[in-house]
Formats: sequence, C-alpha cells, structure tokens
Amino acid sequence: MLEVKDLEVRYGRLTALRGVDLSIREGEIACIVGPNGAGKSTTLLAISSVLTPTAGSIIFDGTPIHGTRPEEVARMGISQVPEGRHIFTSLSVEENLQVGTATRSDKAEMKRDYDRVLETFPILGERRKQSAGKLSGGEQQMLAIGRALMTNPRFMTIDEPSLGLAPKIVDRVYEVLIDLREKRGLTLLIVEQSSERALKAADSLYVLRNGSIQLGGKAADLQDGKAVHKAYFGFSDDHEGEVMI
Amino acid sequence: MEPKSPLGHMVREVWPLIILSVGLLLVVVVIQSFGDRIVSQSLTEGLIRLVVVIGLYIFIGNSGLISFGHIGFMMIGAYATAWQTMDPMTKDIFIPGLPAYLLANSHHWLIATIIGGLIAAIAACISGLAMMRLSGIAASIGTFALFMSFYSLYLQWSTWTAGQSSLVGIPVTTTPWVAFWFCIVAMIGAFVYSRSKFGLALRASREDEVAAKAAGVNVTGERVISFTLSAFFVGMAGGLYGHFLGLLTVDTFYLPMTFITLSMLVVGGMQSLSGAVVGTIVLSFVIELLRKAEKGFSLGETSISLPASSAEVGLGIILLLILIFRPSGFTRNSEIYWPFKPKVAVTEVTHRQS
Amino acid sequence: MAFALQVLMNALSLGSLYALAALGIGLLFGVLKLINFAHGDFITVGAYALIVPSAATQATLLIGDFHPLILIPCIVVVVVILALIAEFLVFRPLRNASPATLMIGSFALGFVIQNILIMIYGGRPKAVGIWSDLSLGVELMPGVEVPKLQLIIIGVTLVLMVVLVLFLTKTKYGVHMRAAAEDFRMARMLGIEANRVIMLAVAISGMLAAAVSMLFVVQTGILDFRMGVSLMLFAFIATVIGGMGSLVGAVVGGFAVGAVSILLQTFLPSEMRVFRDVFVFAIVIFILLVRPQGLVMSRASRERV
Repeated sequence: MLEVKDLEVRYGRLTALRGVDLSIREGEIACIVGPNGAGKSTTLLAISSVLTPTAGSIIFDGTPIHGTRPEEVARMGISQVPEGRHIFTSLSVEENLQVGTATRSDKAEMKRDYDRVLETFPILGERRKQSAGKLSGGEQQMLAIGRALMTNPRFMTIDEPSLGLAPKIVDRVYEVLIDLREKRGLTLLIVEQSSERALKAADSLYVLRNGSIQLGGKAADLQDGKAVHKAYFGFSDDHEGEVMI
Repeated sequence: MEPKSPLGHMVREVWPLIILSVGLLLVVVVIQSFGDRIVSQSLTEGLIRLVVVIGLYIFIGNSGLISFGHIGFMMIGAYATAWQTMDPMTKDIFIPGLPAYLLANSHHWLIATIIGGLIAAIAACISGLAMMRLSGIAASIGTFALFMSFYSLYLQWSTWTAGQSSLVGIPVTTTPWVAFWFCIVAMIGAFVYSRSKFGLALRASREDEVAAKAAGVNVTGERVISFTLSAFFVGMAGGLYGHFLGLLTVDTFYLPMTFITLSMLVVGGMQSLSGAVVGTIVLSFVIELLRKAEKGFSLGETSISLPASSAEVGLGIILLLILIFRPSGFTRNSEIYWPFKPKVAVTEVTHRQS
Repeated sequence: MAFALQVLMNALSLGSLYALAALGIGLLFGVLKLINFAHGDFITVGAYALIVPSAATQATLLIGDFHPLILIPCIVVVVVILALIAEFLVFRPLRNASPATLMIGSFALGFVIQNILIMIYGGRPKAVGIWSDLSLGVELMPGVEVPKLQLIIIGVTLVLMVVLVLFLTKTKYGVHMRAAAEDFRMARMLGIEANRVIMLAVAISGMLAAAVSMLFVVQTGILDFRMGVSLMLFAFIATVIGGMGSLVGAVVGGFAVGAVSILLQTFLPSEMRVFRDVFVFAIVIFILLVRPQGLVMSRASRERV
C-alpha cells in the first residue's frame, strides 16, 4: 500500500534520514521503533508531505506522493496523529472532529463516522461542547485519533501514541488501534520509542536509528529480542563489555 | 596565505572594516573628482543616510528585531543639534520656547552634533526600557508607535521646533568629507560593538531567545544597550542632516525616510555591516537614477520622463523583489572577510554570519 | 448625564472604527502571522475609489455618486480585489519567510500603494462630500444630540462583529479558519486547503477595510493618501494592547484606544489638546509595561517559529 524507497530528508546541512525503505501492506499494523532523534517523526512528516524529501520516493497505492502538499496527501486517504497530538485547543471537541471532515462532502457517511467515533470514545461525546484545551492528556489522544478517523482514512500514521499517558490509558489506545484494523481494515503505521508494546501489536517492525533503518521484517520473525535490541542500541546486550554510548 | 605577524592577525581581524572604509573612500574620491556641485550634494546626503543605516544595523542586525522608530531619533538628534548651533537672534524669532541658556548661547557644530546624538540616545534608552520588554513583532509595532508619537509631538511643539513650518537659519557645515568621517566613526562603532561581549550576547538572543536566556543573557538589557547605541549614531546623523540642508521640517523625518533607510539595510543584508554599506551605496545610485528619470531625459528626439513618485514606487518594488528572491540581501548577511586563505576555509568563514 | 452620554457616544464611535480596523489586522495575523502594514493603505484605496482618478485638486465623484446599494458593494469589491492582488504578488511568495521579513514586505507594499496613489491622484488632500446629511444630529434624549453618523458607525460595527462571530463559529469555513489560525500545519494535515483559508481571510480583512474606508471618509470628508496610516497605527496599538492573535483582544483594544483618545480630547486643558496622541501613546506604553502580553491572553499569540 505504501512503498518508501531510499528516502532522504535534510534540515539545512543536517541529514535527518538517509536511505530509508519501508514497505507496508494493506491491512497490516507496521511499527517503527527507535531511540530519540532517530528520525521517526521526520519519516511520518515526510509521508504526510509536511517535509519535502531531498531524495527517494514515497508511493501510495501506485501514486507518488513525495513533494506534494499535505492537504493533497490527506485527500488521498492518509491521516496522521502527530507527536504532541496537536489538538486545536481553542476549538470545541465537536469542532475538532468537524475539522477532520474538511476534504469530505458525503454528509450521511460523515454522520456515520461521527457516531462511530463517539461510540469508540464515549468521553468525547460527553465533552462535545467543551473546549478541547480542557481535556486530559488521554482524552486529547483519543480526540486526535478520532479527528484523524473523521477524514475517513485508509492509512493512518500515529506518532508515539503512548507518550505521556498512564499505562492503563495506553492499553485502551492500543485496544482501539487494533480494533480499527480488525473492524475497518485500516492500515496503520505506529511510531514508538519502546519496542515492547509495539512488537506485541505489530505485524511488521522497523528499527530506525541515526536516520536509517537498521532492521526490518515480520514481527513474528523478530520475536527473539536480541536482534532488535542490537539494531535499536547499536550493540547486543550479551556483550556488555563493548558498550559505547 | 596565513598572516604570521601580530600585525597581520590584527589586519585580518578588522579586514571587513578596512575594505569597507577603503571602498567608501574610493567612491567618495571618484564622485568628488568627476561630479559637479549637485552630485556632490547627493553624495553628502547619501553618506548621511549611510550613518543612519549603520545605526539601524547596530540594532536590527544584532537583535533581529525590526525597528520602525529610528527616524524619530534622527529627528530628535537633528533638532537638538540645531538648538545649539543656530544664531541666538534667529532662535529668538523662530523657537522662543527654548531654555534661556540655549537661547543665549551656541556651540560648535561638532560638539553640538555629539550632544544631539547623546540626547537621542537618552530618549532611546528611556523608551527602550519599555519597548524591549515586548516580544519581537509587538516590539516592532511599539517602535512604530513611538516614532509616530515623536513625530506628532514635534509637529505640535512649535515653540521648540517651529511646528508645521520650517526651522531656517541652521549653519551649513556638513560637507561630503565631514559626512565621510562620520561614516567611518559609525562603522568602527558598529564593528566594535558587534564583536564585543554585548553584541555577541544580543546575537545569541537573535538566534535563539530561549537558549540565550537560559545561558544567562539579559535579553531585554542587551536590546536596550543596542537600541541606545544605535540611536546615538542615528541622532548624530540627524544633526548632520540639519546642517546639510540648512533648515529642518518635521515632515522630513516621516515614513519615506524610514522606508528608504530600512530598504537600504534590507537590500544589502540586515545582519552584516557590509550589507548596510553595500545596500546604501547601491540604492543611493538607484534613487539618483530614478529621480533623474522623473525629471526627464531625452532619447533621440523625444524626451521621456517618469511620473512623480516613480523613485519611491521603484524602490518599493526593488525591496519586495529582494525580500522574495534573496531575503538575506546582496551580501547574504555575510561580512567581506579575509580573502587570503585556503579555499575550504574561506567558504567556512564567509558563511559565518556577523 | 447628557454630557456623559455624548462623551460615551464619541468614544464608542471612534472605538468602533479602531476595532474594525484592528479586526482586519488581527484576522490576517491569526492565519498568516502577518502584521499587515498595508492594511491602512487598503482603507485609503477604498476611500479614493469613490472619485474619478485624476490629479485635479477638485475631486469629482465617480463610484461616490452611485446609489448606496451599488456604491457599497463596489467599494468592497475594489478593496477585496486589491487585497487579493497583494496576497498573490506579495504575501504568497513570502509565505515561508520569517515574520520580520513578512512585516517589512507589507511595509514596502503599503509604501508602494501610497506612492501609486500620489502618482494617480496627486499628493494634496481633497475634499469629498458623500452622504453629508448623515452628519446631522439626532436627538437621543432631551438635550442630547449626536450625529446620525455616530449611530451608524456603532451599528455597522456591531452588525459586522456579529456576522464575523457567526461566520467563525457556525460555518465550516469559519471553523477551518480558526483551526488554521491556531495550528496551520495540523490543519493542512487534515486536508484544509492552505491557500483557500488564507485567501478567505485576506478577502474578509479587505471587506472590513472597505467598511472602515466608507465610514471614515463620510466622517472626515477628506481624502488624503496618508489617511489610512494613522487609523492603522491606532489599530496596531489596539491589537498589541489587546493581545496579539486574539480577535476579542483586538476589539477590546480598539474600544480602549478609542475611549482613551476621547477622554483625553474631552478633559485635557485646551492648550494640551494638540498633544493628545502623545498622551495616548504614553498610556499605551504604560499598559505594555504592566501587561506586556496584552489585555486578553490568547493561545495563538505565540509567533510562528
């Protein structure tokens, strides 16, 4: 569904990503894990065309989307829940969800999706008229996911859904994400710092470090944590004498 | 070629200053030797503007804040200088509201100009203490409001400024060479300031205000220092200007002057002294050409002339084009640096912003 | 009592003009992070559009002679088109520039507009009388007479503000505009067309400018190529003391500046009255010292980084 080939992104002289390849199949949950500053968010922003790659290609359903505009990418059915959620805090919960429908005109289906979001996240329905800035962190995360769903995406990217949330709420978020794949056939690309939970949910896994993919493959093949650990940290944990940080 | 002697090092250190001074000297000598009296007048006006633009650079270049208010300080300096140098008899007639000491005495123009600059600096210091607390854009608007309030104050304060009419009888003492030397002094001042710890701290805040604050830089204080110093030079330029025209009107110090000087800085490159100098020289020539074209020139049989205000419109369009296509100005915000170095190192150095 | 009411009406009508101008500036600041120094010149162009373009000292009405129902849309269209041209030629090419660059750009644009006006119409102020019967008084209550125009200015301002609020809260595009003003990148990631939102904001800002030009020119009866500049300055001050990026703040600031001006005008001794603006600025500087973030705090007040 999404083919990323040889992606390179630079901020001025700094190269944030180089030679990144991803291949995400329809209906799967893919995960990118990696330490802070590895280029995870940069990858997602490049997919959303917020950043323009300096080299490489991003093909979505056979159409190249690199170097287009973010609103076009959204229109094609890619939606992002960005790092820090980026809720519109001066808008009400309802209005936040409404903004998600910017590209749509199918009134009846919009209503259906709206009801579905409120069904998934009943708390949003209760707080419909409230200012989104007053929501708790977990509620904001749900609103961000709900808002992304309102664009009726076929492919959704989520940047660190567990960041700053209590474990119980993280469980709930993952439950919802897995459910979305099961019930709606949504394809998901999740970015996380910690590989544990991601490994559990993911069908395929990529480890990103220093701007390039260190390891990628079916999650089932990577259940042996050693290789992942080595890719993640740059050393394997049975040679602790060679630690170099 | 690396300079080996201590003198060589010093020359390299102040290289931009040397090259700019020599360049400016050449421009002045060439124009003086080939031009007539009118050209020489344009030259003086251009050099006075250069002092203003260098003053603007001291604040804008180092702080990264845009000031629309400096022409107000130029006006303050201009009037303060004129109060000191005018003939007591004339003062009695036109500006009888002056204090008795000023009405009875006059100072040498050089002393008067320096005092005029100091008065402008004091005004900047006091107003800066309020303005510089604001964030970037609000501070810019604040300086604009400040400018308008000085303007309307001087326009109404007729017993000191002759109000809406002209203040005449100011001795004409500003020759091209006087203006040239003030340019040199202003350049040295700007250069020394931007390499001092004050300039360094302020530029750190320009690049990253939060980080500079975290590193212990008193951003507001540094901005006030720079605002004050720049107003000092701009105020002196005002004094020179009055003693170039021989008369003063409040309207001289209004939006067109603000616009022209700000354009010169932006077109040259806001963040370098070289930019201030190059921008002023280039735009001064452009303005002269457009003014000539407004008066009309003959092309074979027919004479063509551009409509009034063409110079201003042309200037505005040039500025917009520069902002769109080369926002860091002609000099790309770099200084003209020591040219005798291995190639790799040169690119490194010339990219260093000053 | 009667005197107080008169002063109140003066303050409200002046504050209305400032508030309308400040709204036009605040709207563009919200969406584009642009301080539009050309806004005042948009206002000036709206006023000049009333007369025949010529450098003659005597103004001849052109659009100004039309029936109000035609005149008003004509002026609105002129100013909106001008604003959109500015967006295409200046603001859009500078879209990714720093706020400082944008600000200088709009300053340059304003300067160009002023000088083009001088080119076409000449630099001298001109008298125009349109709807001069509006300056006749109306008796509000026994002993209190105010010009009809004041009531119209206040009324028009109220109506425009209500319409703007309804647009921003009740319509799809209004909600999009508020979302874009708060977080432009996120809005785009959700599929909101950046150019469409910006053009809409520019057009609305132009409409507000047109409203100010008509109200202002009827009030003063004078055309001057610098007429918009002083209005814009007070509007800027209104947005700064109201709190950058807050539309409510812009309105509050507008009325505050208007009230301060009228109070000074009324209560300053007559020989000090010419220094009114100086006092206004002094008070503004004082307010900023006490509350550098403005009277009304807004979340969008942070500059785009």
